Amino acid sequence: MSLELVILFAMLAMFALGVFAFKLPAGISLMLAAVVGALVGGEGIPVRHLVEGGFGFLEAILIIATAMIFMKVVSATGALGTISYGMIKSLYRWPTLLMIVIVIFVMFPGMLTGLSSACILTTGALVVPGLLAMGMSRLAVGSLIAMAAVFGEVAPPICIPVMLIGGGVDMPYIGFGKPLFIAAFPAAIFTAVYYRIRYLDSFDIEQVLPRLNKPVYDRHGIKLFIPLVFVIGYLVLEQTLPQYMPHLGVPLIFMIGALLGFGTGEKFDFLKVSRAALRDAMPVMAILVGVGMFLQILTLTGVRGYLATSALYLPEELKYLAALIMPFFGSAYASASVIGVPLVYVFIGKNSIVITAALALMAAMGDLMPPPSLLCAYAGQMVGEKNHFKILRNSIIPIGAAMVIGVLIILYAEELAALFSNTEWIW
Amino acid sequence: MQKHHITAIIILMVFGVMGALAASDFLALMKPDVLHPAATLTRTGWLSEYFDTIKDTGGDTRIYYFDSGEPGATVLLLGGTHPNEPAAFVAATVVLENIKVTRGRVLVMPQACASGFTCTDPFEAYPQFYTIEGKSGPRKFRFGSRVSSPLDQWPDPLVYSHYPSGQQLSGFETRNLNRSYPGRPDGTFSEQVAYAIVQLIKQENVDVAFDLHEAAPEIPIINAIVYHEKCEEVALSAVLNLEMEGMRYSPELSPANFHGLSHREWGDNTQVLPFLMETSNIIQGRLRGRTNVALILEGNSIRYREALESGALRIDYDPNGQPLEMRVGRHIQGFIEILNAYNEYYEDNMVLIGNLPTYPEIMEKGIGHYLN
Repeated sequence: MSLELVILFAMLAMFALGVFAFKLPAGISLMLAAVVGALVGGEGIPVRHLVEGGFGFLEAILIIATAMIFMKVVSATGALGTISYGMIKSLYRWPTLLMIVIVIFVMFPGMLTGLSSACILTTGALVVPGLLAMGMSRLAVGSLIAMAAVFGEVAPPICIPVMLIGGGVDMPYIGFGKPLFIAAFPAAIFTAVYYRIRYLDSFDIEQVLPRLNKPVYDRHGIKLFIPLVFVIGYLVLEQTLPQYMPHLGVPLIFMIGALLGFGTGEKFDFLKVSRAALRDAMPVMAILVGVGMFLQILTLTGVRGYLATSALYLPEELKYLAALIMPFFGSAYASASVIGVPLVYVFIGKNSIVITAALALMAAMGDLMPPPSLLCAYAGQMVGEKNHFKILRNSIIPIGAAMVIGVLIILYAEELAALFSNTEWIW
Repeated sequence: MQKHHITAIIILMVFGVMGALAASDFLALMKPDVLHPAATLTRTGWLSEYFDTIKDTGGDTRIYYFDSGEPGATVLLLGGTHPNEPAAFVAATVVLENIKVTRGRVLVMPQACASGFTCTDPFEAYPQFYTIEGKSGPRKFRFGSRVSSPLDQWPDPLVYSHYPSGQQLSGFETRNLNRSYPGRPDGTFSEQVAYAIVQLIKQENVDVAFDLHEAAPEIPIINAIVYHEKCEEVALSAVLNLEMEGMRYSPELSPANFHGLSHREWGDNTQVLPFLMETSNIIQGRLRGRTNVALILEGNSIRYREALESGALRIDYDPNGQPLEMRVGRHIQGFIEILNAYNEYYEDNMVLIGNLPTYPEIMEKGIGHYLN
């Protein structure tokens, strides 16, 4: 057995011990796993590397913290409840259509920002009360919004995993609209229909509506939605008109949005709401610090390279399945940058843009996977499920479907490319 | 005091100690590298002389002027555009510590992205320093980040929109100097540094400019000379001459639709003939094994040997390794041959240089022999 495999197993064992035996938070367990990996790898305790890795997700951590405050604010003002109420009341007669609309609605922030976490923390949070009130189980609801968040991350116009792969192979982000649409939307619609059939029984709207938060639109009018309009509007305008919009950074946009909540709806205590938000977000932020350390040690000790190279040694007949290891890097971004880049070359000869779009879909599943299971952890918080691995288990069928769609896109990349004119990138 | 409070205090103390120890390592990168220019140096200047907004910022960087006093072409050589590509910086350093110019002028900017030398990239586990034994003792150099430090430019947007083309790249690239050309005076930190370099090219009437780079072995353009269409004859002539010397370089025409890069924007926006050269650097590669200084100096990785043997990837990797000597030697030989080719086509505006080590000399005597 190679040293890299020993290191990897030692790290995973420490993580499992931390979580299951010592009942430590996942973030702390990841940090300990990183230390163990460095020790087994003969690197001692590389403090600089641990701190550097721990700061790798600083921006994501700030986004999560501020987005959580924002969501708590718009929840406290009554805006979330009003939207959720309105959506269900208008579409309850067509539950399949309702589920598809809900999934696309949850995907929306990810399509604009490229961040899966933005989906769960914003639109995902909006639909949770409604779905629970319609009788879906907490696990099913958590799983549904986690899956929708993944598809939002992949869907055009903004797909950061594609940009990361593109950065590695010097491929500009041009011509990805149609391939990403094909990668994201069929899988998203399948997921919506699957959850409709599997988890959504018939429900009596008269019993559901009273269980939802009462709409407060009549009391506050259109100004209720000012914070949401500002945040979504600014994110859209910053992407579409970057030359006119000052670049504020996503955390600042969320904070301004939160402050705009004053006077737009029900009264709230900002300090109390912020403390509650940060308390909720703390485990996820700790996971990100731990994952950062974990990834840094994987790279330092050579495990990352070992995993990437191993993928190349799959037998020829399994070449198309090589991409199936993509989710197991535990993060869409890590997967895209570590294995996504070499895989583009493995499939050289096929249309690189279509291949990259399919790889992005598979890489995005990494956001659901352990060790961090980031989206499942978020979704768990949204629906009140402490064991977020149960949400992952509930998501296996849609994940499998998405992976099959990804492989099919790779298999038929040339045929799909023929459908999309002007999508071939000339090396 | 409750149990969880004690746990929290212990964790905070552990993190406090770790932070202090790491801060000392991070601060070590703020100390500039010491370079020893050749005695033929005529002047040392700063990039901010061409755009004073970057004065006293992390973007300002030294320029070394070697002026023969005889009329001729002006040449600009950039190393360190990406501080995690050490052969580019070391090649520029070897040039500035040895060159003798007998006609025209040569300007050397060894650390074009000075900001990037003050940090490393999270998750890449790069070493902070590497040491080469020079003539006067060990020479310790910083190994930095591909992009400007977040202390100089932050936060990154989710998507980087290049000015003025509007081309979109991942947000990380907003701090990449070689995606920021031609830059703008009121732009981001990286755009301002890029703008200053373009002003330098214009104000000094630079005729030929080089941007030295390295790339991962799996990137298609390694061991290449990338050229703007207006200098195709010079590039192809140089590649032919190098081929006759037994050195393979692939000529790559700068893509017209890929914006922000030196070989495209310098050529489009100034009078200069731009060339970008790439060597193969495994520490940048995704397949590399253990990440350490040996990867920089020896360029040897069992993982790349395996990848080569698998046949699954189209990679350009010498199974015996690609040591720093080889990569620096290629850059310097390429620099010499491109200038020779330039002189063939521009006889009335030649630049004549000497005292630079050739590729075989560097391979035989090592880089340290040419570091003062």
